Order: sequence, then structure tokens, then C-alpha cells
Amino acid sequence: MTPRKRNDNGVLVLGGGITGIQAALDLANSRTKVYLVEKSPSLGGRMAQLDKTFPTMDCSI
Amino acid sequence: MLDAGRHPNIEVLTNSELIELGGSAGNFRAKVWRRPRYVNEELCTGCGQCAEDCPVVVPNEFEVGMGARKAIYSPFAQAVPNTYIIDRENCLNSDFLVCNNCQKSCDRDAINYDDSGKVVDINVGAVIVATGFDVYDASAIPSYGYGLYHNVLTNMELERVLNATGPTQGHIVRPSDHKVPRKIAFIQCVGSRGEGKEAGCQYCSRFCCMNTVKDCLLIKQHAPDIEEVLVFYIDIRAAGKGFEDFYRRSQEMPELKYIRGRPSKILEDPETHDPIIFVEDGETGKVSRIKVDMAVLASGAVSAESNSRLADVLGIELDENGFFEIDTKYGSPLHTLREGVYVCGCAAGVNDISDSVAQGSGAAAEAERFATRLPEEKEPKEKKEIDTSGPPRVGVFLCHCGINIAGVLDIEALKEHAKSIPNVVHVEDNLFLCSDEGQRMVQERISEHKLNRVVAAACTPRTHEPIFRESCDQVGLNPYLFEMVNVRDQCSWVHTTTPDKATAKAKDLIKMGVARSKHLQPLYKNSIPVNQSVLVIGGGVAGMCAALELEAQGLKVYLIEKEGRLGGILNDLTRVYPANLSAFELSRALMEKVEASRIEATASTEINSIRGFVGNFDVATTNGNLKVGAIVIATGAHIYKPGDEFGYGQFDNVITNQELENILHDSRDKIKIKGETPETVVFVQCVGSRDPEKNSGCSRYCCPTTIKQAIRLRESGVNVAVLHRDMRTVGAQAEEQYRRARELGVKFIRYNDERLPEVFGDGGRARTVEILELALQRILQVDVDYVVLAAGMVPNEATTAKLHDILKVPRDADGFFMERHAKLGPVETTIEGVFVAGCVSGPKDIADSIAQGSAAAAKVASIICKETVELEPTTCTVDQSLCRACGQCVEICEYHGPSLVELADGRRAAKINQALCKGCGTCASWCPTGAIVALHFTDEQIDSMMEALLAGVV
Ligand SMILES: Cc1cc2nc3c(=O)[nH]c(=O)nc-3n(C[C@H](O)[C@H](O)[C@H](O)COP(=O)(O)OP(=O)(O)OC[C@H]3O[C@@H](n4cnc5c(N)ncnc54)[C@H](O)[C@@H]3O)c2cc1C
Ligand SMILES: Cc1cc2nc3c(=O)[nH]c(=O)nc-3n(C[C@H](O)[C@H](O)[C@H](O)COP(=O)(O)OP(=O)(O)OC[C@H]3O[C@@H](n4cnc5c(N)ncnc54)[C@H](O)[C@@H]3O)c2cc1C
Ligand code: SF4
Ligand code: SF4
Repeated sequence: MTPRKRNDNGVLVLGGGITGIQAALDLANSRTKVYLVEKSPSLGGRMAQLDKTFPTMDCSI
Repeated sequence: MLDAGRHPNIEVLTNSELIELGGSAGNFRAKVWRRPRYVNEELCTGCGQCAEDCPVVVPNEFEVGMGARKAIYSPFAQAVPNTYIIDRENCLNSDFLVCNNCQKSCDRDAINYDDSGKVVDINVGAVIVATGFDVYDASAIPSYGYGLYHNVLTNMELERVLNATGPTQGHIVRPSDHKVPRKIAFIQCVGSRGEGKEAGCQYCSRFCCMNTVKDCLLIKQHAPDIEEVLVFYIDIRAAGKGFEDFYRRSQEMPELKYIRGRPSKILEDPETHDPIIFVEDGETGKVSRIKVDMAVLASGAVSAESNSRLADVLGIELDENGFFEIDTKYGSPLHTLREGVYVCGCAAGVNDISDSVAQGSGAAAEAERFATRLPEEKEPKEKKEIDTSGPPRVGVFLCHCGINIAGVLDIEALKEHAKSIPNVVHVEDNLFLCSDEGQRMVQERISEHKLNRVVAAACTPRTHEPIFRESCDQVGLNPYLFEMVNVRDQCSWVHTTTPDKATAKAKDLIKMGVARSKHLQPLYKNSIPVNQSVLVIGGGVAGMCAALELEAQGLKVYLIEKEGRLGGILNDLTRVYPANLSAFELSRALMEKVEASRIEATASTEINSIRGFVGNFDVATTNGNLKVGAIVIATGAHIYKPGDEFGYGQFDNVITNQELENILHDSRDKIKIKGETPETVVFVQCVGSRDPEKNSGCSRYCCPTTIKQAIRLRESGVNVAVLHRDMRTVGAQAEEQYRRARELGVKFIRYNDERLPEVFGDGGRARTVEILELALQRILQVDVDYVVLAAGMVPNEATTAKLHDILKVPRDADGFFMERHAKLGPVETTIEGVFVAGCVSGPKDIADSIAQGSAAAAKVASIICKETVELEPTTCTVDQSLCRACGQCVEICEYHGPSLVELADGRRAAKINQALCKGCGTCASWCPTGAIVALHFTDEQIDSMMEALLAGVV
């Protein structure tokens, strides 16, 4: 299947937790325009609330 | 987080929601509703004056209601963006009342009570859904009394209590009397693995076991005097890379006891408010009442409440648990039923961080198919660089890291000390230097005070140095004029109990950092051209998916496979969980796609050698030579070959799960093993896994595989028993299938490490299996026709050892390849341009292997989409006039950096390839003539640090 592409296409990422941020960064680093939409007032999602995370015990932010 | 907020290609729209999605893949039209913030993002600096002056105090949701915030607030200290927001439900301004305090206090006039939000239209090619999960509301289980009893908390609340920036500054105290608890109990599976309606969901939430293990270790750190920690559990599910070792570490904690059993209820002692736990011990069957000081409910995850609304907007479906439904026909966990809409992380089911991150990258690669690239940025405009020729003007910035640093070190004393160091012209502290606001502050001070060196006394350079360097670079200060001193890991964390000495050590470190900074020199990155092609090694699912994804992005892809055909382990399987797809169909579909593509796939081929570096690898294979810019290693794993355990090799009716898989593959409806239909089959789990002597990790695939095979056998009338230590059925549908197996009459019997099951037989055939039944403490004998060993996954030794040798990718304790970061960089390695995907970095199932294949493709794309790649300039160089060409550096360097070359005058001397050099400095310390200089660690810099430290001492 050949995707039908317009020539100015970005990607919409819904959710600014660790998963959405990772997707957004990878796209942006491959020169794709990203719109990162987050429902709450800040990025970060659940992980920003955690203290240290398993299994490497480093800080979450 | 900050990276995403700063990236020029990312537009962050917080406080926003998608309300409409029209069009189709490649051409979606989205409407996004930006809810009013009442504070202008462009004007607000995040100074927080407004919140100081706001009279309304409400519970803080970020602290799970335990702390307080104002009606105008910033959600947390490192929020991105750090713009404040007004919570209009609690704000006093209304039709009848005027407060206006915040408006009056804001210097920048950023506050607008009439903000009404707006709808923005966005055209995109693809949509990625990464909207996460909600935490299960533990008050739905009345028998545990959460919300009623004072000292019953959830794991999320404990998370905030343990956090240095949380409501208790990291001190563990129990809510009723603020005393340090001496006895804490954890109750696992709250809201997960439920049977009844009130119990929440049926699946396993996957992170809560490990999170409890982590919390236990942290409790010991935060409250060293703790007397007892009890964990009530059903199975401990340490199924992920490094998890088993982590679990084992916790078992060494003498205060910690793991007790099998699910408490039936909790009551509260009305006087002391101590929770009393009623539990039947799963092993002995005895019911006991256990009084503790505090109980923690390990609440699981549920699908987000807003999913159904969002699913309507997106035109996709939800599954029976309320997560976004996956189109399973690709075996990939990323496709939804609408083309161009992908799902990843906890939006599609519960995942830990590592799997979520891999899926996020994987979804990025998929979405890339429908996106177009922005034009490559031409050489950045000549930046005005700050002149560094004059005397050093050093700025010292101290970070509190919440209370991580400031809770132990005397910040004021450090400031005074820093001010007294010669050449230091500015000193300032900040709650979180890494926050947006902190970084902006540093940038402003660089300009205001004409700083030409910056020293940060903060946390670890491993994660945070890049952020500071980037900030310096943005305002024209060469990033290599920045120096970081780690006063957290090296002072406040390790010397918590001796704050004076910790502060004294921090003073020394700062003094040394400043001394070194004065000798730092600007360094500049070189760029080298990138070869726009990729090599994928290994043609299993992970390799094929990586190759297909890369090809879809228009890259030249080579795929080499050692065996005669593609497919890997899949070729030996019959039907595969979770969706019961035919392994044959799945791998055939992938092979056909590979064949139809422009991928150059060659079977029966192996690697001979690889030389070169990111962007420019020279590869020699048994089938010719290649030049590529990046490499994906997807050579999979092997299945553990049992020695003589459990009679394997001795009795011919003791087989592995892989051998059984072959048998099932060939059986139609009636299952026949070697010609006869067995009556009883016993599975033994964890053979060659979870054993520090052989393979310390849990292999993760074998529990769900046993369930799959047991159901198949049971359905054709065979009696099945599974002997296990914990059933680790994590992942999509796994717990549900586990329940189904029990309902079908498969028996599950637990054994422990101390007494393994034993297999007895005669005449080359196993006849009985003996197991100690823990619950009744009696020996059970089962007559068997077949014993199936659930063999773990081990590294493919020959390949892994060879590639390790050639490419220097480090291996972990079990011998699998090590990722750059177990959680945050699951498909990257420490070698630039080399990636890993699938079981080569540890046991995984098909869905995770596929997600990693796609993720690796996304990572490769971010290198190869550029014409050049930048090289780190912190390398070593040779002063050839001093070199005697002894060649010791050539021998000692692990990375093949130095070589001997002929100079114009015919003399020979060493030369270091800047692209291969990692700047480790080994050669510099070895060079007998001192000809080699480590550019970012010159002798002068190191000497100056020593002098600073020893000044006044000797
Ligand atoms: C108590 C606890 C402890 C944990 N500890 C660990 C640990 O130590 N290690 C580990 O690996 N994992 C741990 N986990 C699991 C970890 O939190 C998750 O794996 C991870 O947060 C998943 O990230 P995510 O981005 O998919 O989802 P989330 O973190 O939930 O992020 C989703 C984001 O999307 C936003 N959003 C929601 N709906 C919408 C919408 N309609 N539009 C726009 N945005 C929306 C949300 O506001 C949120 O910011 C823990 C979980 C909990 C609850
Ligand atoms: C008995 C059994 C049952 C299973 N059942 C399921 C199931 O039901 N559901 C599920 O999700 N998962 C299941 N799995 C796990 C699943 O098979 C793996 O997750 C998956 O196949 C891993 O894919 P991979 O591409 O990482 O590795 P592999 O499939 O191992 O592929 C690696 C490829 O690399 C090739 N290779 C190796 N060395 C070299 C070299 N030097 N040069 C070139 N090529 C090389 C190999 O020949 C192979 O083709 C099962 C596994 C087993 C053993
Ligand atoms: S078994 Fe699953 S649901 Fe229960 S606590 Fe462990 S990870 Fe959570
Ligand atoms: S059988 Fe496999 S998945 Fe189950 S616990 Fe043992 S090693 Fe882990």
C-alpha cells in the first residue's frame, strides 16, 4: 500500500506522559513536525509523580 | 520532558484535548480544544508571585490530595511548561465577587480572567494515542477500608510520601499521628486479578509487584529502623529485564517477609488507629490477624475514564477492559482498527516504563509512514559566541534538587564558600535548576554578568549535563565551558547522616569544579557524512519488522539471516498467544512483505567483520561487503537446553516446551505424542530461568506459553498439572487465559526453591513426579505420561559473543546485550549507530519484539534522515611532534581509535580517528611521551583540581 501523503504532514501525539514524549521526540528528531496534545496543564504523566522507578532506581523526571 | 518542551519541531499544547478527527490516514484534519488557562503562556515567567498572594488553599491532586496548592498554581516544580494556571472552580472571582489578587500581583500582566480558550485546526498525516491509564480507586473495595481508616494508604500515596519533594519531604510518617511506622504491610493485586465485581479488573496490572519491591527497598533507606515489612501476594511478578535480580535483592532485606495470601479484610484499632489485617496464609491455610502501623494497598491500573469519549472522536473501538483495541492481525501491539491511528504505552493495556518507551518509539516509526519530513536545517546561522579570551568569569549555580540536596547540605554555607573563590563573579541557588525556570535563570545570568564559565553544583552529569550544555549553547556560551559537580550522589545521598562532613565535601568539590572550569577550552563538534543505508542482522520477527519499517521510510535496507530462511523462532511454533494467531501465517505474512519490498534480504549469510563508526560502517559478510550508516542487531535468543535436570535426556518422555510446540504443530484435533495420546502431562516451570547460577532472569515468555499449551492439551482431554514458583502471566490476555486454564481443570501446584520437584522412572521412561505440596506440607505423587520442561531463554552465545567482540556492545550479567538505559533507552546501545531489537537484549514475546523492531527503526531514522552526523569533540588527539610511534596506544584502545600513519616528512606517528574515539583517555594515560591529550580532560585541568583540593592541606 502506498500511503497517500500530503506534503506538509505532521503527526498528532495525544498524551504527554513518558510514552507520548518518547514518540514525539523520535518523530521530531527525524525532522517530523509534532503536535503534542496533553489534557492536563503539564507534560509528564504518571511518571512525573513517581519517586524513583524500578529497576534502575533513578529519578523520574 | 524539558527536551520535548524545547524541541523546535514539537509544538506542545497542554491543557488541551482532541475534539474532532476528520479525513483519513495521510490527511487527517484535527480540531484541538485549548481550554482556557487564564494565564498568558508567552508572558508568564513562572515566578509564582501570584500563588503567594492567592487566598484560596485547596488539596493538591499531584500529591494525591495530601499536600495543598492555591487556586492559581503550577502543577509541580519541574512542570513543562511552567506557566501558571487558574483553577476557576476554586477561584474567588465570579459574577458576584471580585478578588483579583493574582492579577494585581503579576508584574507581567499575564492574567486574563476572561480567557475563553480556543479551538485550533491541525492537519496531520497520522495520530498516536498515548493517553495512559488511571489508577484504580481502592475505596471501591469496602473491606479494605481505604478512605475510612487513617493508616491505610495506596501505593500512589506512598510514592508521594517517599518523594523528597512530596508532602512530607520524603520522611515516612503515618497519617494518623505523624509517627514513623515500625511495621508496614503491603497488599498486592488491589483492583487487579479480581474474581468478583467489586474487585476491579481481571487482568494483572503488571507494575505493582515491582513497585512494591522498589518501595520496600526505599523504605529501608528512608527509615533504617523499620522493624518489619510484610508483603501479602499471590505471585510476585518480576517479569522484565533486571526485575528478578531486583526482587532477589529485596529478599536479602532481613526485615522483609513475603507472605502468600490475599487478605480478606482490614479493620482498624479504634484507639491506636493501627490497621489489623485478616489473612489466610496461602501456604499453611491458617487465618491470622496481623496488626501493623500502616498498610499500603498496591492499587492496579484501569483504563482511563476518558477513553470512551476519545474513542468516539477517533472512530476506534475499546476492548472489554476499556483500553484502546488493537488490531491483532499484524501481531504488533501498535495498530488500531483505523488506518493511520496508532496506540502505545498504557493506553492499550498496562505496561511498565521500558515497554511503554519502546512502544512510543515504535509508534513513531509507524506514524512516519504517513508524515513528511521537514526540510533539513541548513547550517545553523553563525551564532554570536561569547568571547572567552579574557580572564575567567565563573558563575556558580547551586541546586536544591527539592530536598535531595538542600535537605542535607547547608546551601547558605556553600554559597558563601563559592563567593570566596577567586574568579567567581556570581553565585545563585534554585529549587530545581533543571526546571524550565531554572535554566532560564542560568541563561539570564550568563548575559547579565558576562559569565564565560558556568559551574553547576547539582545532581548527576549522566542525565543532566546535556540540558545545561544546551542552555549555555543557546545563549552563545560554548557548551564545553560548562562544568558539573555532583553534590547529590556524592555528598547528600551518601553522607545523609553526617551533614557537616557532607557540606565540607561539597565545598571541596565545588572548589575543584571552579578550578577546572577556568582551564576549560571551547570545543567544536565536527560533522561527517552519513551513509543512508542500514544493516539489519537477524531475520526473526524483530529483524523483519525493523527492516520493513526502515524500508517504508525510503531507506536502503540490507537484511542478513544466518539460517536458510527468515522467521527465527516463529518457524518452530504453532499458534501464538495472545490472539491465538497461527505462527506460520504471521511469519509468512512478514516474509511476503519483505520479498515484495526493496529490502535486500540474504539468507545463509553471516558477518565476518565490521569496522567504522556511526554513519560509516564497513561490513564484510560471507556474501560480500556492504557500507551502511547504522546497524540493528536482531539475532534473537536460544532456548535453554536442559542438562540432566528432571530426568531430561534420561527419560525420553521428558521433553522441552519447544519440543512440545513441534508436536502440537503436527497434531490435528487428537494430540499424539510419539504415536500415543497421553493421559497426564506435567509441566515444570522455570527450567533454566530465575537461577543465579545459570540464567538469573525470568524468561517471561514461558508462563504464558505453558498456559497456551496446557489449554490446548486440556481441550483434547489430557489431565494437566503445572508445577511453578509463581505464575507470571503478565501481558495482554495472559491472566485471563490463566483463569481459563484453571476453569478447564488444569491444576497449578506451587513448589519452592528449597525443594524442587523430582521425576522418577525406569526403563528410559518417567513414571511419577514428586512434589512437596506447600499448602498441606505433604508429598504429592503424580503418575505421568509426559513431563514438559518450560525452558527459559538464554543468549545465542556464538552470535552474541562474536558481535560483542566486533562492535563492543556491552553484555549484561546473563549475557544478553545491554541497552543504553534499561527503561529510557531500550533499543539503543552505548555504541552510537548500533541498535538492538527483540530477544537479543533479553527474553520477550512476539508483540514486544515487534514493538522493539519498529522502535529501532525510529531511532535509526533519526540518525539517517540527516546528511551528516555530529561527533562529540571530547576526544583525544596526538601531538605528533612528541610521538615516537611506539604503537602502545594502538594496542590498548578498545575502540580502534589510534593507528600509525606516515607523516609528510616520512616519519611515523600515531593518529586518532575522531569518529572512533570515545574520549575515554586510556591511551592518554598510557602514552609514555605524553603526546596524547584528552581534549576535555587535559593534564592542566586535572592538576588544577588537585591543587585546589590540596591547597592549605599540604
Ligand atoms: C504507583 C505507581 C508506580 C509505578 N512505578 C513504576 C516503576 O517504578 N517503574 C516502571 O517501569 N513503571 C512504573 N509504573 C508504571 C508507569 O507509571 C507507566 O508505565 C507509565 O507511566 C506509562 O506511561 P504513559 O505515558 O503510557 O501513561 P501516563 O503516564 O498515564 O501518561 C498519559 C498522559 O496522557 C494524558 N492524557 C490522558 N487522556 C488524554 C486525552 N484525552 N488527551 C490528551 N492527553 C491525555 C494524561 O494527562 C497523561 O499526562 C508505576 C505506576 C504506578 C501507578
Ligand atoms: C516454545 C516457544 C513458544 C513461544 N510461544 C510464543 C507465543 O505463543 N506468543 C509469543 O508472543 N511469543 C512466543 N514465544 C516467544 C517468541 O518466539 C519470541 O519472542 C520471538 O520469536 C523473538 O523474535 P526475535 O526476532 O527477537 O528472535 P528470533 O526469532 O530468535 O530471530 C532471530 C534470528 O536471527 C538469526 N541469527 C542468529 N544469529 C545470527 C547471525 N550471526 N547472523 C545472522 N542471523 C542470525 C536467527 O537465525 C533467527 O532467524 C515462544 C518461544 C518459544 C521458544
Ligand atoms: S500480580 Fe500483577 S496485579 Fe498483582 S500486584 Fe503483582 S503485578 Fe500487580
Ligand atoms: S516459567 Fe518463565 S515466565 Fe514463568 S516465572 Fe519461570 S521464568 Fe518467568
